Order: sequence, then C-alpha cells, then structure tokens
Amino acid sequence: MTSGGTSSDLAFRLAERIRAEPPWEVIGERARRYEVHFRGHEVELERGPLAVEGFGIRVLRRHGEATGTGFQASTDLSPEGLAAAVGDAETISRHAEFPAPSVELPDDGQAPPEVPLVDPKLWRDPTESLRAYVSALLAPFAGRAGVVPTFGSVRATLSEVTIANSSGLRVGFNGTNVDLEVAVKAFGGPEGTAPGEYWVTDEARRLAPERFPAAVDAWCRYAADVRRAKQPPTGELPVILPPDVLEGILPAGLGFRLSGVARLRKLAPTVGTQIGGENISLTDDGTYPWGAGSAPYDDEGLPRLRRTLVERGKVVGHLYDSLYGAAFKVPSTANAARSAVGPSMDLKFAHAPVPALSTLLLAPGSGGSLAELCEAAGEGILVQQLGWARPDAFTGAFGGEIRIGYRVRGGKIAEPVRGGTVGGTMFAAPGLPSLLASAVEIGDEPSLTGRLVSPAVLVRPLSVAGATA
Amino acid sequence: MTGLEDHEGDLAAALAKIGRTAMFAELVAQRWSGESVQVDSKTTTLSARPRLQGVVFRAWAGGHWQEAAASALAGAELESSVTRLASELARASGGPAPPGAPSTSRGEWKTQPRRALRDLGAEGTISLAKQCRDWALAVPGIGETQVRLSWDEEQRLYLNTAGARCYQAITRTHGLVVPIAMEGGRPEFDYWNAGGVGGLEVLGTLDEATVRGVAEGSKAMLAAKAPPAGAMDVLLDPSVGGLFAHESFGHGTEADQFVRDRSYLKPILGQQVGPESLTLVDDGSRVGAWGSIYCDDEGHQSQRTVLVDRGRFVGALHDRETAALLHATPTGNTRRADFLSRAFVRMTNTFVEPGDRSFEELISEVDRGVLLEHGTSGIEDPLGGQMQLKVKKGHRIEHGKLTDLVGSMALSGKVLDFLREIKGVGTKEGFVINPGFCGKGHSDYVPAGTGGVYLLSHAIVGTA
Repeated sequence: MTSGGTSSDLAFRLAERIRAEPPWEVIGERARRYEVHFRGHEVELERGPLAVEGFGIRVLRRHGEATGTGFQASTDLSPEGLAAAVGDAETISRHAEFPAPSVELPDDGQAPPEVPLVDPKLWRDPTESLRAYVSALLAPFAGRAGVVPTFGSVRATLSEVTIANSSGLRVGFNGTNVDLEVAVKAFGGPEGTAPGEYWVTDEARRLAPERFPAAVDAWCRYAADVRRAKQPPTGELPVILPPDVLEGILPAGLGFRLSGVARLRKLAPTVGTQIGGENISLTDDGTYPWGAGSAPYDDEGLPRLRRTLVERGKVVGHLYDSLYGAAFKVPSTANAARSAVGPSMDLKFAHAPVPALSTLLLAPGSGGSLAELCEAAGEGILVQQLGWARPDAFTGAFGGEIRIGYRVRGGKIAEPVRGGTVGGTMFAAPGLPSLLASAVEIGDEPSLTGRLVSPAVLVRPLSVAGATA
Repeated sequence: MTGLEDHEGDLAAALAKIGRTAMFAELVAQRWSGESVQVDSKTTTLSARPRLQGVVFRAWAGGHWQEAAASALAGAELESSVTRLASELARASGGPAPPGAPSTSRGEWKTQPRRALRDLGAEGTISLAKQCRDWALAVPGIGETQVRLSWDEEQRLYLNTAGARCYQAITRTHGLVVPIAMEGGRPEFDYWNAGGVGGLEVLGTLDEATVRGVAEGSKAMLAAKAPPAGAMDVLLDPSVGGLFAHESFGHGTEADQFVRDRSYLKPILGQQVGPESLTLVDDGSRVGAWGSIYCDDEGHQSQRTVLVDRGRFVGALHDRETAALLHATPTGNTRRADFLSRAFVRMTNTFVEPGDRSFEELISEVDRGVLLEHGTSGIEDPLGGQMQLKVKKGHRIEHGKLTDLVGSMALSGKVLDFLREIKGVGTKEGFVINPGFCGKGHSDYVPAGTGGVYLLSHAIVGTA
C-alpha cells in the first residue's frame, strides 16, 4: 500500500468487501467541517463538527468498442449500503456509452510527490484554531474610524481521502481547506456620501493570520475608495489584471478547453495551435505546495504531475484522466478530479472523476512589478476586483462589472473607478485581440491565489464600457 | 438505505437530548434520490443522485447559535455528534432567550407530478434525450449537441423542541439543450433551458420545432457582431428581467443584510422607488415554479411576499431572527443548501409581475439601445446597490427596430437609477420563471427561480 499520509482506511476496508467484476474503483472520504460566522465583531454562529463519511464506487464495463461507466455514492457504510451502491453502479453502466473499448485504472507502483496540504495546528484543534483565527482577523479593525467588518465567516474542512481499485491500488491523503469571506464597510464623513464595501473571498489550504494586519489595511482602503470612485471611460484600453482577478478567469477559461472532454467533442485547440503570445507559458502543477488544486494523488490515485500545457503561446498538451486518456490511447496525465459547483455538497466521494486543472501556473515574464506594469500601460485601468467574470467554457467570452479599480494616468495609479464593465475573449483567431494574445506584459511577481499561481498581466487592449466615451 | 421516516424516532430522541441543555433546538434531516441523463454525439452518461443523507442540529447557546451535523441518521456517529453539541451548549449556559418565536407548524407535503420523468425509466429518458440531440444535429452546421434531462426528489424533515414537524418531498425536473455550431475552429451556441417543481409537464414544449429553432439560433451566433458599449436604453427579455428582480430587490431585501446594516434598501423601506407599473414578488408557494418549497428550514410555510408594490418598496424576506429584530413576521424564506450548510434568508422564486406594455410598444420607444436576451448570471452588491447581469446574446435597437444580432454582454448599473429610468413593463405575454441556482456570497447554492416580463430602462452595457 502506498499512502501520502492518511489516518483513514475507509476505501481499503470497502475494497475488501466489494464482490464486483473488475475493473472498479472506490473512493472513501471522511470530512469534518468547522465554521465561525460573525456579525460585526460578534460571533453569530459556530458550527461543527459537521461530519460526513461516505464513498463512491465506479465500475467500467465493456460494450463492444465502448465502455459503460457506472458511478454511485453513498453515506451508508453497511454491507447492505455497499451492495446497493454497487448494484446501482452496475445498472447505470449498462445504459452508458463512452468511446473507449478498454480503460486501465492505475495500479499501485508509483511514489507520490511530497505536497504539503495539511495545516497541523488546524488539524489538531480546529475549534480553537478557528476562534483564534477570527480574533486575529478582527483585531486590526479595532479602533479604526469609519470602517467595520459587517459580517464574515471562516469555514475549515478537514478531509481524509482514500482510493482503492481492482488493480490493487491503495492510496490516501489528508488535506485541510479554508474558505474566508469578509465584507468590509466604509462609512461616515460628509452627509450624503454613500457607504462603500469591499467584499473579500478566498480559498486556501492553511490559516495564515500573519497576513491580516497588512491585508486589513488594504481592504479598508479599497472600501473607502469605493465611496469616491467614478465610472470608467468607454473604449478599448490597456487593462492591468492582478492575480486575484486572473484567478476568476484563467483556470475556468482554460480548464475545459484544454481538457480531454473538450478534445473529444472537437472543441479543444489541437497541439501546436497558437492561442496566445510568445510570452504566455502555462503549466498544470498538481504538486505546487499549498495549492487549492494540489495533492499527492489525483482523484483516481495517480501521483500528481507538473506538466506544461502552453509553451510560448502554443498548445503542447491536454488534460486527461484514465477514461478520456483511453479514448485517445494516451496515458492519464493525473488530472482526474471530483468536484462540482452547484447545490450538492462539494465532497470528492459524491462525484465521478473528470479531467480538470489542478493548480495552474502562468510563467512570470519581464514586465516587473505592478507599478512597472502601470508605467508600461501609460493610460489605462487597473482592475482590483471584478464581479463574476468567469469565461464561457465553450466560447471563452469573459467579463464583468468593475467592483473597484483605478485609472492609470501617466503610468501611475490615479483615482478609483467603479461600475461599468471590462470584458473580452480568452481565445481568438490569429491576429485578433484576446486576453492570451494581447497580454503584452507579464509581471515577475507571481503569487498563489486559490488554484492559480500568476503575476499581474497587462492586456492591451480590453473592452471597457462606462458612462462616457 | 431506509427513508427519513424510518429514523424519525432516533432523530426526535437526539433532538430531545440536545433540548435538555438548550433553551431551543431544531433539526433538519435530508435525503435525496434522482437521476440525470446527458447525451452528446460521443457519449451517453446516466447518473444517479448519490445515496446521501444527513441531519443538522441547531441550538441556542445563550448568545449565539451552535450547530452540528452528521451523515448518519442513527447509531454511533449521530450519538457522537449530539454529545459534542450538547457539551458545547453546556459550556455556554445562561444568556438571553433566542430571538423570535419558533414555528409550531405541523404538516406533510409531497409533489405529485402529472407525468413523472422517472416513469420513463432510464431507457425512456435516454431515448428522449437522443431524440432531441438528433433533431439538433440534423440542422446543417451543428457539429455537437449536449442534452441533459434530470429529475431529483429531495426529502426534508424539520423538527423543533416547540413541537413543530414539517415533512416535505419535492420533485424537480430539468431539461437543457445546447446545440454547438462550429466555424473555423470557433464554437458558438444558443440554448434551451426549462425546469420546475413537477414532472415532464414543467418542460413545456420540448419538441422538434423548439430544438431546431435553438440550433438555428446557435448557427446565427457565429455571425453575431460585437455588442455596443456604453450607457444606452436597455430592453431586458423576461429571463434578464428575472435576473434583475433577483439581484436587485431579491438579495437586497434578504433581511439578514438589514440586520448587518449591509443593505442600501434598508433606509428607503416604504418609499416610492420606481414607476407604478413595477411590482416585484418573491413567491415560494407558486405551483410548479423551480424555486418553490412547501416550508422553510425553520418550519414556516412558504408564501408570496410582495417586495415592490406598484413602485413602492414595501417588504423584505425574513427568518425568525430578522423578523424579531425588525418587528416583522417570518416569510418562509429560511433555507439551507444542504445539511452541511447553515441557514440564511434566501429567495425562492423572484419575478417581475406583468405590466401593460406590449413588446412592440417597448421596442418602438427606443431610438438607440440594445435588447438583452438569455440571461446567464448575475451578481448583487447589497450595500452599494450596484448590479451586474450577464446575457448570452442580444439585438441592437435602432430607431424603434431590432437590427443586428450581437454577442454576450454584461449590464452594469445602480439599481435605484435603473428603477428611476424604467420606461415600461411588458405584458404577461412571454412571462416565464426560469430555473437556476443562487449562492449566498459564493457558496450555499439553492434552487431559485427568476423570471418576469420585458422591462425597458437605461444602463451601461459592455462585452462579457
């Protein structure tokens, strides 16, 4: 048995009881969630443990030149519960068709990379750790005039994942995940001036209270700037997008189009296609320390990899799991992922795997710091926060409302802007503007934000719509 | 896996144990079933709703709420969860009583679809999905088509220490058809989307003419021009009008934002904010609508709540706590995404009531503007009063006539300015409530219906 370090053996125990024909796999997950919600400086609600233990089983059945996959998940760990889930999966597989005659699941032979994923203090004492974290978050607001946190929450999930299959694979790993949400309100001053808000959300693997004094300073400044911000101009303008903004655009825009899922439907750019400028190189790195998409193994149990997807603007690789790899007769790239955005719980065991990005890296360029990118822009817009800008998975169109940004005048950050929209497309035919083709300068100060490691980028131009021409 | 009702005794006993250390306690137990079929030109995928179940307990800890949850409805895991919650509660003894009065409602409700999708069985549903796919693929230029048909039954049981007991089983059915046109490696699409509480009847006219029409729409998108940019007259189709209702007066009237002092609407309750032709409603009791529920997760029955009545801002959405703090009554809008999620004040079905202007009249009033069609997403700004609405496509309006088809756009603007600029509200022709999911912040997604009629106003639009 290979293990990246887990205290659970759920999938291993279930594997001993599965009486299905191979190939099959089972994922087990034990998750505990703890939350603190606050209103102002007061605790509104404490939650936890919110405990879930469940499994998902997948069977793969050959139907001539196709494979029928059947998946079912359950929180019923009894022998009857396991048998019922296996029965469901077998039934489903009889109705399903996937264009691969044979799918090989990973076996148990490869050592995993070392990937730090567990905040040890949070793991040991989640309740007290979260209480202390919220105190550290709220402390820098004390004594500030005209600015308060109106509400917020910290949600920590401690998960133990195990994967076993009919090829003998037995792996597992633990991880911690922390979601933060804070709304910062600036108010007061001259009568009639509306209050302003800066809304913070982020996803990380560990608690990092040391960042709060400086971060709270910045949040308060943005909230205050919202109050005096004016609408941007309308036009095709140089726009600077920092990592926080790019995190909402690049992974979602690239993840589908570079996946085996898109390739199977002829929606992916082929290897060799130029989709960006020569300064664009993108790597999928499932081993990146503390990345929200990183882990020792992918969700089929293969050791995670670091792979280049786009080199000097050209596509050099796609993302596969075992199933989609089999459709193209290529090995999995260890990009199997189980998650969903939607109404169901975001637990791995409840979802069948599909190929997806892990942690995406945009290679630093020669554009320097944020200040140097502004200097290069001359006259333009620095976007600090966009509304929902997530690209359309098929077309790559993206854009949203400027929640807070700044005019760049004479190469310097100037007055705040808010409202209006910034948008464009991720990809375009050669010679036409797009985010990837028109990113004229890439900064050299990358930082990790959720599932993206990226410096700021200067795009020349993007479409900006405001009140005036 | 047995049903919720089989565990009611264990759950009631667990609640009673928690109730011995708390002034008030309640639970929501949950269980799902369902099936989804997705077909395209390459694959057929059948998915069963995972066999998941769980329970969340909420108890008043003297100064704040305390919660614990477990994915077991009986046995050691449930016992462990209850014991730890009781232990936390014992540490926090004393303090004031919980805000507001608890529900004492008792009832049972179950959706009765006229024609359940589940009755088609897996083979029948796959056959219907493939039929839709083939209708779309028969249109020249359509290279790929995705069709998804699904049904979902969710059981919820609410119990509290004041004697309330509400059991509901809600069946939702959903359909989506996305024909994809390709040209020079560039994909484009339009889509058809329908759903509601009930069975196949909520899908309306899913027939060959509808699917072929959507496929032709996808092809047309390949020739769509860039959208206009800047401030102009905007005519919102009913789907976009629904997004407007949801993002403007929906989120802004969730009264937990009032309590947080985080709503731009709080100071103007009772004021005239728009024309007399404008009425906005949240209605969780609307038969067949996607976001309908029978009772909420505090045991209050769902209801119709008028938010804006003939232009006057008159109401908000409440849970027991906000109702107590703001001298109102609960409106049946307390919802949890699932047993792992906390309860918030949430919308159900939020929409614009029909007005008196025909589509032709509204178009004729626009000299230079854009018709926004097929709303795809929106985002609110409860404190600042801004809103962002994104749409799949639109048409320019020039001198009172529809002209060029244009690609995806975002609308940005201040809600109160948008309301002041409303020039007309469409008639009931075309009224629709669309299925969607709504997050509180960026999580806790619940089914929410949005809809309405055509709405003419003025705002900024740009590429998105």
